[in-house]
Amino acid sequence: MKIRFAVCMALLLQGLAFAGERAWAADALPKVRLFTTGGTIQSRASNRDKLMEYNDGPRVTPSELIADLPELAAVADVSYTEISNVGSGNIDTDKLLALARSVNAWLAQPDAAGAVVTHGTATLEETAYFLNLVIRSAKPVVVVGAMHPFSAISRDGPMNLYNSVRVAASREAAGQGVMVLLNDEIDAARDVTKNNTYRVDTFVSRDLGPIGFADSDRIVFYRRSLKRHTSASEFDVGNLKALPKVDIVYGYQEADRAAIDALIAAGARGIVLDDGATAFRDAVRDGQAKGAVFVQSDRKGSGRVLLSQAAAARGVVTADNLNAQKSRVLLRLALTKTSDPKEIQRMFNEY
Amino acid sequence: MRAARWIGAALLAFAAGVAVAQEIPRSVPPEAAPTGAAKLPHVVLMSMGGTIASRATDRLNITNYGGPGVPRVDPQDWIHDLPELAYIARVTTEDFRAPPGRAAGSEIYDDLVVVARRLNELAREPDVDGIVVTHGTNIMAEVAFYMNLVVKTHKPIVFVGSQRPWTGLSGDGPLNLYNAVRVAASKDAWNKGVLHCMNQNINAARDVMKTSAYRMQTFKGVDVGPLGFADPDRVVFYREPLRRHTFNSEFAGRAYPQVPDVEVAYGYQEAPGYLIDAMVAHGAQGVVIDGIGAGSATASQTEAIKRAQAKGVVVVMTTRTRSGRVQMTPRRAESHIVAGDNLQPEKARLLLQLALTKTHDIKEVQRIFDEY
Repeated sequence: MKIRFAVCMALLLQGLAFAGERAWAADALPKVRLFTTGGTIQSRASNRDKLMEYNDGPRVTPSELIADLPELAAVADVSYTEISNVGSGNIDTDKLLALARSVNAWLAQPDAAGAVVTHGTATLEETAYFLNLVIRSAKPVVVVGAMHPFSAISRDGPMNLYNSVRVAASREAAGQGVMVLLNDEIDAARDVTKNNTYRVDTFVSRDLGPIGFADSDRIVFYRRSLKRHTSASEFDVGNLKALPKVDIVYGYQEADRAAIDALIAAGARGIVLDDGATAFRDAVRDGQAKGAVFVQSDRKGSGRVLLSQAAAARGVVTADNLNAQKSRVLLRLALTKTSDPKEIQRMFNEY
Repeated sequence: MRAARWIGAALLAFAAGVAVAQEIPRSVPPEAAPTGAAKLPHVVLMSMGGTIASRATDRLNITNYGGPGVPRVDPQDWIHDLPELAYIARVTTEDFRAPPGRAAGSEIYDDLVVVARRLNELAREPDVDGIVVTHGTNIMAEVAFYMNLVVKTHKPIVFVGSQRPWTGLSGDGPLNLYNAVRVAASKDAWNKGVLHCMNQNINAARDVMKTSAYRMQTFKGVDVGPLGFADPDRVVFYREPLRRHTFNSEFAGRAYPQVPDVEVAYGYQEAPGYLIDAMVAHGAQGVVIDGIGAGSATASQTEAIKRAQAKGVVVVMTTRTRSGRVQMTPRRAESHIVAGDNLQPEKARLLLQLALTKTHDIKEVQRIFDEY
C-alpha cells in the first residue's frame, strides 16, 4: 500500500515535471530524435515484390528514412542518432545499454520533446520493455518497426514512422511509458507482443489491448497503464557495462532437466521457465542452491501466472502476465539489485 | 415470505412433475460469521434482474428459461447460495427488478432514472464501499455506460450478469457474482468509473460490448481491452480509462427524468432516408447514424440528414464495423455531423440524449463526444 502510494506520487510528480519542461514555443516544432537500430523498416530488397529474404539491397540509413518523409517537417523537428543497423536478432546487451544511455541523454535535454526508436520486429517487444524499465523520463518514447521492407509495394514502414513521430511529439503521450506503434495502434511496451510472422497487424496486447490510436484526425488515448515504468522505475543502467545472464527454458511434454543444468553450468544467474515440466523441479532446486533465481512464466501467451503459496514456498517467482522474453528482461534488471526471490516477486507484481 | 414463495414454486413444480433445477455445487455454509466480518467492506448488491436472476425447471434449459410459474432468483437467494460472500464483504441487497412479465431487455428509461437516483444516493452513504448491479446481458453495456455518465462517485460500481440462468448446467452466474462482489470490495477498483465484470474480465463500461449471443466470453472491449482481472489469487488492475466518467462527468450527480428522443438509423446498401424523416416526424431531436465503414451515409440518408438538421436535429455518426473510430474530417465538419468516435450507436444515443439536455450546439456536442 505504501509502495503504491509512492508510485502514484512519483507518477504525479513526473507528470508535473513534464508539464513544466515543455520548452518549445507555439511557433517552434517539438524536437523528436530518431534512434535507429535497423530492422525490416531499414531493409531494402532488390525487387519491390520481395517480402521475404529482403536483405539483398543496401541498408537504409537514418537520413534516408527522414528524407523519405518530407511530411515530418510539419510535425516535428527531427534529428537522428544511429545506434546500429542490424536485424533484431542481433540486438545484444551492449546495444541495449548504448541505446538506453543515448535516449536518456537526449530526453534529459530540456528542449527534447520525445524519442522514436526503429527496431526489427522479432525482438522489438523486448527492447521496448527494457526501455520502459530504464528510461528516466516521462517524455514519450515510441518503438517502431515495419513488416514489409523499405523497398516493398504497400510498405508499412513510412506510415508507421510518420505516426511514431506524431506520437513522440504529442503532449497526450507523456507519462504513458514506452510505446510500440505499428499499424496505427499504440500499445504499451509491457503488454505488447508479436503475434504473427508476416501480417502488418502482428503486434497485439493479447490480455489488455492497445492504449490508443494514431488516427488521421488526432492521436487518441483511451487507457493509462497502472504498472510502474520509466521515471517511476527503480532501475538504472546508467553506470552498467553488462547485465546478468538470464535464459529461458521452454516447457513441453517430457521436457528434461538438461537445459536447466547446462544453463546453470554456463553461468546463468536466472532462468525463466516458459511453462513447467515435472523434471524441472529437481533442477530448479539444484539451481537455486547455486544462487540462481527462477521465474515461472507460461507459454500460452495470455493470462496470468497466479501468485501461489506453493511457488513462493519453493522460492519460485511467478511472472504475472509477462511472457517469457519480457520476464527475462525484468529478471535481468531485478538481479542488478537483488537475488532475493521475495523482493523479485515484488518487482514482478509492480512492473 | 421467501419460504412461502419457495413452497409455492415447489408445489407448482410438483404438480407439473418436475423440480426447479438445482445446479450450484453444494457448499458448507460458514458456521458463524468470519472473524473481523464487521470490518469487511460494505457492498450493496442491487438486482435489476437478468438471466443471472432467472431459473428454469431443467438445468439443460439455457435458452428458454423463466416465464410464468417459474420463480425468479430473489437477491437474498444469491446470498444464500453464495455463503462465501460473507468472507469478502458485508453484502446487503436491494431489489430494483422490473415487474414480472416485462421481458428482459425491455427496460424503459424510467427504470434507469430510478436506479441512477438510488446509485447516487448509495454513493453518498459513508458506510457503502462498493455497489454491484445485476442486469440482463442484452443491454447491460449501455445501461452501465449511462450510469458511468450520471452517477457521481469514486466508489466502484460493478455491473454483472450471466449468460446461463442461475439453474443452468455449468452456469456462469455464481462465479460472476462472486467476482463482481470481490471487485466492488477492492480498493484498487476505486476511481475507475463504472465497471463490468463477467468471465473474470474487468472492463470499462464505456468500452465493453456484448459480442456473442450465447458464449460465456461474450463481453469484450472491441477496440481497447479489459482494465484488469478477477483472478483466483487477487483482483488486479493494469489500466485506467482516460475518458471522463462518474466523479469527473459533467452529467453526474443529478437525475434526468426526461431526456430528448434520440433514435438510431442503421447503414446498409440503399438504406433509405425516409426512416430518418420518420424519426424526426416522431419528435426525435437527435439521430445516430450507424454508418457503413468509416462512418458514411447513403445518398438518400444524406438528403434526410440535411432535412433533419434544418429542423434543428443533431446528427451523430457511428460505424457499424464496431471497431475503430469515426474520425473528424473536413467534409464531416462541413456537413455538421458529429463524429461518434468509437462508441457503439446504442451508447452514442444515450450520450447524445444527455448532451441534448444541455446544448444543441454542434461544436459543444462534438466536445462531449471527444471527452466521454
